[in-house]
Amino acid sequence: MKLKIFSRLRRNKFIIFLAILGPGIIASNAGNDAGGIATYSIAGAREGLRFLWLLFLITFILAIVQEMSARMGVVTGKGLADLIRERFGVKITLLSMLLLLFGNLAVTISEFAGIAASLELFGVSRYISVPLGALLIWALVVKGSYRGVERVMLFFCIIYASYIVSGILAKPQWLHIMSQLVTPNFRYDPKFINLSIAVIGTTIAPWMQFYLQSAVVDKGIKVEEYKYAKVDVYLGSFVTDFIAFFIVVAAATTLYANQVDINSASDAALALKPLAGEYCFILFGIGLLNASILSAIILPLTTAYALSEAFGWESGIGKKFSEAPQFLSFYTVFIIIGAFFVIVPSYNLITIMLFAQTVNGILLPIILFIMLRLINDRQIMGEHVNSRFSNILSGGTAIMLVILTILLIVSTFKPDLF
Amino acid sequence: MYFVGDIFVSEVLKKPVLDRAGEEVGRITDFLVRTGEVFPRIESVVVTSKKRNHILIPFENINLFNKRIISVKNFLSELAEQKAKEEDLLICRDLLDKQIVDVYGVKIVRVNDIKLGDIEGNLCLIAVDVGFSGILRRLSIEHIGKQLWGLFGYSISSKLISWNFLQPIEPKLTKLTLRITRQKISELHPSDIAHIISQVSLNGKTALFNSLDLEKAAEALHELEPGTQATIIDRMDEEKASDILERMHPDEAADILGDLSEEKAQELLNKMEKEEAEDVQELLEHEEDTAGGLMTTEYLGFTGDMTVSDVFKNLRLMSPDVEMIYYIYIIDDIEHLLGVLSMKDLILASPMAIISEIMRTKIKTVSPGTDQMKVAELISKYNLYAVPVVDEENKMLGIVTVDDIVDLLLPPSSRKKRQRT
Repeated sequence: MKLKIFSRLRRNKFIIFLAILGPGIIASNAGNDAGGIATYSIAGAREGLRFLWLLFLITFILAIVQEMSARMGVVTGKGLADLIRERFGVKITLLSMLLLLFGNLAVTISEFAGIAASLELFGVSRYISVPLGALLIWALVVKGSYRGVERVMLFFCIIYASYIVSGILAKPQWLHIMSQLVTPNFRYDPKFINLSIAVIGTTIAPWMQFYLQSAVVDKGIKVEEYKYAKVDVYLGSFVTDFIAFFIVVAAATTLYANQVDINSASDAALALKPLAGEYCFILFGIGLLNASILSAIILPLTTAYALSEAFGWESGIGKKFSEAPQFLSFYTVFIIIGAFFVIVPSYNLITIMLFAQTVNGILLPIILFIMLRLINDRQIMGEHVNSRFSNILSGGTAIMLVILTILLIVSTFKPDLF
Repeated sequence: MYFVGDIFVSEVLKKPVLDRAGEEVGRITDFLVRTGEVFPRIESVVVTSKKRNHILIPFENINLFNKRIISVKNFLSELAEQKAKEEDLLICRDLLDKQIVDVYGVKIVRVNDIKLGDIEGNLCLIAVDVGFSGILRRLSIEHIGKQLWGLFGYSISSKLISWNFLQPIEPKLTKLTLRITRQKISELHPSDIAHIISQVSLNGKTALFNSLDLEKAAEALHELEPGTQATIIDRMDEEKASDILERMHPDEAADILGDLSEEKAQELLNKMEKEEAEDVQELLEHEEDTAGGLMTTEYLGFTGDMTVSDVFKNLRLMSPDVEMIYYIYIIDDIEHLLGVLSMKDLILASPMAIISEIMRTKIKTVSPGTDQMKVAELISKYNLYAVPVVDEENKMLGIVTVDDIVDLLLPPSSRKKRQRT
């Protein structure tokens, strides 16, 4: 699919192609971060192909939700946090910021866990890799060469394509896969429910909506150009989930088939064995490191942007401390806390990554409900209010997540209820 | 209309409005604002009834308006449903939570709350609250928040931007724009504030002063013309006026009080802290156009046994609060003037030198009754920055600084200019 865009734009140089990579593609791709890879791998390894139908379904929902964010950005010219503050006032703003702060912190910690886990594959201790990584990430933005780096790292996301090749080389039963894509699968079991929430939470993360809307505003896309932004968003959603699909397939055919559970990054790397053989650790390590660093920058950035929007502070990459003090402070503190939690308590890195996605899945409905209120407000959106179709699907997702969360709590305490 | 003190919008929002018979009309949900003036006037109150009908009540029909009770002169049955128009300007819909940018479009902060104040019996917008306390107030936890912060030894004060620093507002605005840059809003020089104040009507001036913090208000007041100073203090809330006077230099405070009626001056003095009041009282007793009337009682006095380095140590501790630090005066235990050292003398002297050994003993002094022109001549003749005022027994009473008499030395035309700008 990426090749297709490339051929359409072949007259332009490669750099220009990178320059026009839209916010939608970046937001979705950054969603395939450390936690994403871990969650999809675990879903494949523990449950085989049972999550494919959910992944298939939420691909459309991801596209719809992302489209809503992009549309709000284009029509209002304001970020999501801007709109929340101006429409709902201080109380709701503070509540949603606290939730976002908590969710994003969890994800940021998982990104640092990703950095630690990937470099441990190469024998680098987390006590070295995490502080160094934190310093690098901080310097890239504060010292201001981030935009260029972002494009390079997006390019390296092509490593994900190795999952596609690996998935195909593993010779899965395609007929079975096709039937699993459309066969709903559910089990009343805290582990299964937890994984369902995590899969949804990592695919449609709250932070992605804040990031995407701000990025669209940043690009200054006009209402007339909106149809292109829409393509960008849809494309981003499908490319991302296409990769997620192959991560699950590769993990299911290599790990689930041999009853290997994932407890560390080296277990997860085995999913790439059909492609890379002995070298699967290297391939997996580089891919995970790249994804983790990219998202470990984007997460603290998104948080700092959202908080600055909510409270009206000046923000921006490449600004001096005196120009945007609150923005840069939050960015810095976020990185420090994120790195701290990976080094000091020494939890299992895979557990951290999965936990963060569950947190996001639980918080998502609140952000979805807020988005729905905003996007159906004619004073804000004018004629661009949501269609009934988008309302039903995104509202339905939110309700589904609330039900899943309740089920998770109930099933944890009463596993024998059904 | 009885209107007491200043009020924040968040303190009255959602408060019930009672009709003439004490029956609830509905709750306040917004305010309709009339633009044009520097301080926009509140034209009517938007009340939303239990049935979700909107009623616009002109402000003239409001009987009571304070944090506790809001009542209207009409009966409930007389009030008809009426909606605000699209082009009207509403506080909650159009101003609250909006972004504030400076002249260059740099984002600064959002409007956390809006302060309303009384200007000639009209309720007007006088300042926007952009501080943390504004957020706490919106959450209705200002009190708890302040106490909690107090436990850690911090205090939260309101951070207000006076309305006249903002560009005129108009319907459908997306953000509020300042007239000044961001750096200036916190570092706004008192003389800039004074300049802005001089452009506003007298009522506006009082309102503006109410919106400044005490320190800033004291400094800005100092920059204004003497007549205006007294008028503003006269019209202000007495508590606040006395707080501002305390923060001014005693001689300036005395000048202002001298321009007020004796009764009012005495009232304000009574409200001031005892120590400051005594200093001012002392100065008030002198004729205004003599050295005694011009002088300030603040000066740097040291005993002769100190070393130069001791003096510097003390200066660093004290001088931020002292107006004139170009001279230190060497005095004995009962404030007899013995000698003087200029800053230059101190800097050039060896740090271990005892000041009584290096001080200058030939001192030009004046007595409290000396005419101000004589003082001015003396200061200009000897190129002094300040001259000490002593009584018959050579006891130090205060100093007259060059700032105090510079207006006398300037030709009349430039004198006016200096005061106005």
